[in-house]
Amino acid sequence: MSSMESEKGTVVAPPAAENGNNKKCGGVDVILRVLLLAASIAAVVVMVTSNQTETVPTPRGPMRAPAKFHHSPAFIYFVVALSITGVYSIITSIASLSSMRKSKVPAKLFWILLLHDVLILGIVASATGAAGGVGYIGLKGNTHVRWMKICNLYGKFCRHIGASILVSLFAAVVLVLLVVLDGYSLYRRIPAS
Amino acid sequence: MGNRNGGLDGTQRKEEKEGIKLSEIVLRVLALLLTLIAAILLGLNKQTKIVPIKISPDLPAFDVPVSAKTSYVSAFVYFVVANSIACAFAAVTLALALSGKGIIRLMIIIVDLMMVALLFSSIGAAGAVGLIGSNGNSHLRWNKVCNVYAKFCHQVTASLALSLLAAIAFLFLVILTASKLHKTP
Repeated sequence: MSSMESEKGTVVAPPAAENGNNKKCGGVDVILRVLLLAASIAAVVVMVTSNQTETVPTPRGPMRAPAKFHHSPAFIYFVVALSITGVYSIITSIASLSSMRKSKVPAKLFWILLLHDVLILGIVASATGAAGGVGYIGLKGNTHVRWMKICNLYGKFCRHIGASILVSLFAAVVLVLLVVLDGYSLYRRIPAS
Repeated sequence: MGNRNGGLDGTQRKEEKEGIKLSEIVLRVLALLLTLIAAILLGLNKQTKIVPIKISPDLPAFDVPVSAKTSYVSAFVYFVVANSIACAFAAVTLALALSGKGIIRLMIIIVDLMMVALLFSSIGAAGAVGLIGSNGNSHLRWNKVCNVYAKFCHQVTASLALSLLAAIAFLFLVILTASKLHKTP
């Protein structure tokens, strides 16, 4: 069978083997999408629950001051982006599941999935970058522009944010794998007609 | 499919393929130039200003030169490095895309995808830090600095916009390469 495939290209692929392969690819696809959902929910929940109130020294004496994620626009963007990713992963895992049950999946589905996966990858990557950039200043401070570090005051807040950024990095990696898988599925089912 | 419809369809498909190839080359050159300009624009960004600083109320103010540099902010350093990497990979894949077939195309998709992720994350990082620079953050008492370093901030903004265009070019490249996988046998 394999020799036949190599001689004639993928034009006459053995139907049984291809079907099994499709099932396997579809299974991996669904698992990755569920992982993406879990990662985005975890990132949002950890970020939203990062509130911490501490007594901090101010020019007018020590004061109780809270640190909340919505004090920084970068973190708001992060939460919105990861929420969108969560909703998107629910929709696409349902689509992927329903396509697994069909024997012949149209190539167009993978095409549409790939298109949107790339877009979502851009959103998640930029959100991770934004939160990471601000988080790094919070961790280290910047003496040149006199932005002082805050992570020595708000330990729990910073740990939550760091964990959330790590989880969203994982989500970005999952999205890269998903796009590669979509591309591979398209590549295997050439002549798409 | 091509045989049944005769030669006309064949030439049409050929033209379409040529068109895709041409637009891919244009997009790659565009991405290369944009990332190059963005990296240089931010990499060489520096502004020195004379700012009067008062140490005590009864003494006259001192004129102190203060400077803003890209290397002072780690997010900007990351941005410059990411754009340089994307520029290098745009050049490599430009050479590969001219000769590439099947499996190489799949590899090119992966590289382009990495570049999309890298560029978008660097834009996010530099943009978020730049936003703090222009607006400040009153909760954390991080003061805005763009009122002092106006030219520096404008250059950062321009660099960000160029890099965003480059990232979108890479995004289109992924889609274009995928559409080639989709269409050609």
